Amino acid sequence: MRIKPLDLRLGRGVRVALVVVAGLAWVWCALLLLRSAVPTDLRAVRLDTTTIFGKALVRRAEHVERFFLIVWVLSQIALFATLWVYARRGPRFARESAAGPIGTGMLLGMLGLGIVWLVQLPFGALGLWWARRYDLSDIGYLEWAFGDWFELAAAFTSICVTLLIVMFLARRLGEAWWIPGAAVFVVIGAGFAFAQPYLLAETTPLGDPSLRRAATEFEQKQGVGGIPVSVEDVSGTTSQANAYAVGFGASRKIVLWSTMVDGTFTDREVRAVLAHEIGHHSSDHIPKSLAWFGLFALPGAWILMRATRRRGGMGEAAAIPLALLVVAALQLALSPAQSWISRGMESEADWKALQTTRDPAAVRGLFVGFARTSLGDPDPPAWAHILLDSHPTLAQRVAMAEAWRRQQP
Amino acid sequence: MTEVPPLPISVVVTDDLERSRLTVFFRLLLAIPHLIVVIVWGIAAFAVAVVLWLALLVEGKAPGTLQKFVASYIRYSTQVSAYINLAADPYPAFGGAVGYPIDLEIELATRQSRGRVAARLVLAFPALLLLAVLGGGFSGANFTTFSSSTSGDGGDLWALGWSSGGVAMTAAFLAWFASLARGKMPLGLRDLIAYCIGYTAQAMGYLLLVTDRYPTTDPARVVPFARLPPHAVRLELSDEVRRSRLTVFFRFPLAVPHLIWLTLWSMLVLVLVTPAWLIALVIGRLPSFLHRFFAAWIRYTTHVLAFLYVIGGPFPGFTGAAGRYPVDIAFAPPERQRRAVTAFRLFLAFPALVLAGAYGTAALVVALLGWWAALFTGRMPEGLRNLGAVSLRYSAQATAYLFLVTESYAYAAPALRDRPRNVQLELPFDAPGVGPTAIEAV
Repeated sequence: MRIKPLDLRLGRGVRVALVVVAGLAWVWCALLLLRSAVPTDLRAVRLDTTTIFGKALVRRAEHVERFFLIVWVLSQIALFATLWVYARRGPRFARESAAGPIGTGMLLGMLGLGIVWLVQLPFGALGLWWARRYDLSDIGYLEWAFGDWFELAAAFTSICVTLLIVMFLARRLGEAWWIPGAAVFVVIGAGFAFAQPYLLAETTPLGDPSLRRAATEFEQKQGVGGIPVSVEDVSGTTSQANAYAVGFGASRKIVLWSTMVDGTFTDREVRAVLAHEIGHHSSDHIPKSLAWFGLFALPGAWILMRATRRRGGMGEAAAIPLALLVVAALQLALSPAQSWISRGMESEADWKALQTTRDPAAVRGLFVGFARTSLGDPDPPAWAHILLDSHPTLAQRVAMAEAWRRQQP
Repeated sequence: MTEVPPLPISVVVTDDLERSRLTVFFRLLLAIPHLIVVIVWGIAAFAVAVVLWLALLVEGKAPGTLQKFVASYIRYSTQVSAYINLAADPYPAFGGAVGYPIDLEIELATRQSRGRVAARLVLAFPALLLLAVLGGGFSGANFTTFSSSTSGDGGDLWALGWSSGGVAMTAAFLAWFASLARGKMPLGLRDLIAYCIGYTAQAMGYLLLVTDRYPTTDPARVVPFARLPPHAVRLELSDEVRRSRLTVFFRFPLAVPHLIWLTLWSMLVLVLVTPAWLIALVIGRLPSFLHRFFAAWIRYTTHVLAFLYVIGGPFPGFTGAAGRYPVDIAFAPPERQRRAVTAFRLFLAFPALVLAGAYGTAALVVALLGWWAALFTGRMPEGLRNLGAVSLRYSAQATAYLFLVTESYAYAAPALRDRPRNVQLELPFDAPGVGPTAIEAV
């Protein structure tokens, strides 16, 4: 099938004007989304990490983190080498399909994921070995491998649905598929984000009455209400502590890992965590993330359309292996921006936690505790921080608590 | 075309399908004396097989007398098995006489490769696994006894085989009722049991060093006389046995989207089947649009299972379109159906569904073994593929019967090829319509 080139029958001047207007709209939306409760004039406090976290802990955390970073770099090299080879040779697997163009595209997409999974498996195993060595994970190798197998099946299903939509639109609309395609994915993303609290592993309501009262109080202070708080049992899986906010609107929820409320952290520190997660909801971070996704999805889909043009466009199964490579490259290229946006949201939630609890000592204790239980490097290499960190460094988070304290009259 | 060598252990059938109701009714009890002999002889045969094993390892040649002793045991246990499973009617001679209605032709292999002999127990494992689900022999009873005394793993395997019943025992269970009712053995069931018995004899012959030819599951070779009668639901097999190792390795996760889609489609079919049944009761046939819808669903199910079980190579489409997959199902146009048969369809379909379940278990083992074989060799063994295809064909016919797509009953024989249309059917009963009726063809 020959894909129709995008032809809006507009003059060059009009098209340039449209692109400029769209670009300005994009920037305006981005600026709106970047607005934060964190004061712009907050004076950064320089702290000595070894004083806060202790020399031994910092060294140990750096050592642990360094290995993970090396494994990540190697896995990325392997990933792109694999996808590059697959982009060249993958189309030949079309002969293994009797499923028509879209079904064949699904097969090629799934095979691509499968090959990537296989190639990444040794790196995952290395990471697990390292995590087990430092008591960061209690998962057995078999459990990890088989659990991954089912995750792979879920990923296969997701890519099938994605390709079904994209290829259907591309075959119907030609090169204009990327406009409705991006919109469809934002809608699907919103659906998943809304439904995620209902798809989570089994959780139990938070039992501690004092923590429940604290959560209600913090919700009132932040102008939200009725957010259920649950505990997810992760004992036997990991010793790391974590919490997260999921859902939006009627499905909002906060989940604490059982390692957060097993006595490792003080009540004041857990309260700080609750205030932080409530801060995510009160700042509408999840709808904002969806909006960001929409902002990136549009140009991303356009790039994908252009990149696959030589293979007949996204309506052709032969373009799918190349599309996988392009998507992976886009993800890597956008990861600094995504991490930066995410760090901004985390900073805002930290700030709201400080404003709500007014307890910088607890916040500081919490992050020192995180460094201890998760062995996260308080001050990682700059490149790794820019590329990978979705949260401010632990040192930066402690510094914010200190800055908040100093700001108080 | 390459000449296919004859099987060293092949089943010979001269059975006339006539059955004495009295001996059928008491069949298991009547067989007790034979069972005792089989067990005792079996223990001796296994002991002799150990001696054979040593002799073949040392000299590369088996003592003829010992081999004949084991071969006689296999023949006798086959005849007893045929008697118990109703594949034959006369009471067998103790010791196994030549000329029994279900008999074996055995060609002894006195010289065998030492390497293959040394690893015989390991090599035989896949065959024993299949034997466990086909369950057409008596050697199993002996093997349980033998292995339990040596705490071998084979004992567990056999326990599994017997506890799950196996295809042969399921067929025999259904045949018992049919033979009692009609005084005749349904041809399809007889051929199916003969197939299971034939495979069992091959597997035991291989394990006990009577032959070094690996047993084949190909129904066309084990029971070449079995043919399909004309039927409204036919399997069309154009699959090449070549497989892509990559798609084989990821076969299950690749099938997951299909399984999800199949589940959704099946839910809709289940919703529609009751109205379809009522309509068929009133107008005496299934409306064309429902026939097409149900047929597409059955076809799609076959495509998906063929892919999942490595019986088919390519990734199937999502619509169940006809003629697009190398393991395909063809349907005759909608036919008039007798209201009485339609009214009791669920009950009438029950035996076919039971047998489809047994066939399905065999297909699972085919999938397991085929997965490994295709992964290493890049090819699906033809025998396994054909057994799997037979299983899918039977399942499609049983489902089509249950869901009113046809009034033709599922045909049990493990055959892939049609009987030539100009040849008089050797069915024991007159077959109305395009296919056999319920009781004759189970």
